[in-house]
Amino acid sequence: MGAPVKGKLLDLVLVLGGVVMIAPLVWLVVNALSEPIDAFQVPPRWIPRPPTLQNFQQVPELIPFAQMAWNSLQIAVITTAGALLTSALAAYAFNRLRFPGRDQIFSVLLAALVVPVQLTVVPIFIMMRWLHLVDTTVAIWLPALVNVFGIFFLRQYISSIPRELDEAAIMDGAGHFWILFRVILPLARPGLTALGIFVFEASWNNFFWPYIFLSSPEKMTLPVGLVSLQGAVGGGPAVVLFAAITLVVLPILVLFLIFQRSFIASIASTGLRA
Amino acid sequence: MEAGAHRQRRAGRRARQGPDHAGGIGLKPQRRDWLPGYLFISPAILLFVVFVAGPLVAAFGLSLFHWDLLSTPEFAGLDNFKQLVTDGATVRAVINTFVFALASVVTHIGIGMLLALGVHRTMTRGTKYFVRTAYFFPFLVSWAAVALIWKYVLDPAFGLANYYLSATTNWLASPTLALPTLIVVDWWHTIGYTFIILLAGLQTVPAQLHEAARVDGANAWWRFWSVTLPVMSPTIFFATVITFIGAFQIFDPMVIMTQGGPDGATRSIVQYTYEKGFQSFEVGYAAALSLVLFVVIMVVTGLQFRLSRRWVHQ
Repeated sequence: MGAPVKGKLLDLVLVLGGVVMIAPLVWLVVNALSEPIDAFQVPPRWIPRPPTLQNFQQVPELIPFAQMAWNSLQIAVITTAGALLTSALAAYAFNRLRFPGRDQIFSVLLAALVVPVQLTVVPIFIMMRWLHLVDTTVAIWLPALVNVFGIFFLRQYISSIPRELDEAAIMDGAGHFWILFRVILPLARPGLTALGIFVFEASWNNFFWPYIFLSSPEKMTLPVGLVSLQGAVGGGPAVVLFAAITLVVLPILVLFLIFQRSFIASIASTGLRA
Repeated sequence: MEAGAHRQRRAGRRARQGPDHAGGIGLKPQRRDWLPGYLFISPAILLFVVFVAGPLVAAFGLSLFHWDLLSTPEFAGLDNFKQLVTDGATVRAVINTFVFALASVVTHIGIGMLLALGVHRTMTRGTKYFVRTAYFFPFLVSWAAVALIWKYVLDPAFGLANYYLSATTNWLASPTLALPTLIVVDWWHTIGYTFIILLAGLQTVPAQLHEAARVDGANAWWRFWSVTLPVMSPTIFFATVITFIGAFQIFDPMVIMTQGGPDGATRSIVQYTYEKGFQSFEVGYAAALSLVLFVVIMVVTGLQFRLSRRWVHQ
């Protein structure tokens, strides 16, 4: 009776909430497309008129944007590939192989899940300085090659793959490398994808670590670059900053719209399996 | 060839004995697994020792010294820890961090749950798609971009916030409003993650259970309380632990939006660690501070696991 009306009302509330959620992002893009004098008007303008791309052209004049994007990509790809590999190897060993100390070592790793990176940053900074790696991208991806959550997550995933499959491969004379890469990992693809998206996203958006380790503009990643641009813009037109943020944010949002299903499934699975 | 035949013989023996779900054969660990076992874990373990375990021990060591990264480190005993207790800024940072973390968890889980329940009900496909996308979008935006966008949204002169709230508030400059404002910004950024996790958990609740409860005459509220919540409790527990750990490590918005101000009102433990370690180069003190964070996270997480036995269904 009253249920359909109540349902519609709830829908309306949720949709309005959704509009409020994306409003800052729309405002970002509108201002990025506006002439400096038209931007940041009160009342806020929701349609740029006339849209202009001049703010976007100014971004590379102030910061080496392309280089920063390349650094971010490079770090994210190396981190993701490396973390997946080290995690897969370890996860396989912790689930399928038997060796003395296995369970104890795994427990130590699990306990380390609560160690915040902030605790390790000061010693690692000192170590990197000693190795002359401060202000290099190596300082960002090297410590990220080990991912304790990844080991834990993939181990859970691998444990759900029937052992009969590797037993059969062993009977065919397969070694552990062959079993891992030809039998287990192809079956663990959804798990690998989920972890990969998760690690990539975290690396791409990471601010804390690059902010501490990178100081030259041409070494910076995009998040740190944006914050440095804020200083470079200074009292100048903030629309350039908005243009730069748009350049960073928009590709991610478009990618998300394309791969929404697998993306959401990945995020969800990180919560479900832990 | 030799090795292959040998391996096959072993495989045959293994097959005769049947699969063993503990991973090896018989009670004794098989020696042949030792080498690949250690080999496979060695990259992760090596990196772990160098970049997690080693630095963890080093942080304890560093906390006992006065050091500015340039001159020779000077042994300080427990000086840094004594200073922690008497340094008003530290106490303030710890309180701020706790307030932030508690508020985060309550709003994330509470509002995230309401959103998940709202989206989970049958609603039109288009509405569902829009709502899910809209709430998830901000999570994809890096904290750096979020913090910069919101600095402008909150601008007292031309920001969206003041215009639509018909206010003239300087949100980030107010000692009482700055921290709650950052809590709202954090909520905007991260709710998408909590929401998706809770929605996924909600989808695992078997419809038959709801049907059975309905047949027994349970109303919607009672069905939520006696069916949905118990089934979802592991997911809620996971979301709570993750949100807490994340919130205790909050750093980005403070550094980009407020620099811990006004007057330390938004200074978090991590941001203060950064100030001490990388701005005033009191490395030992920074290490001591980071240990405080570690202990806080460990105690709260341990407590959550202990309490979870009472309410999380396994």
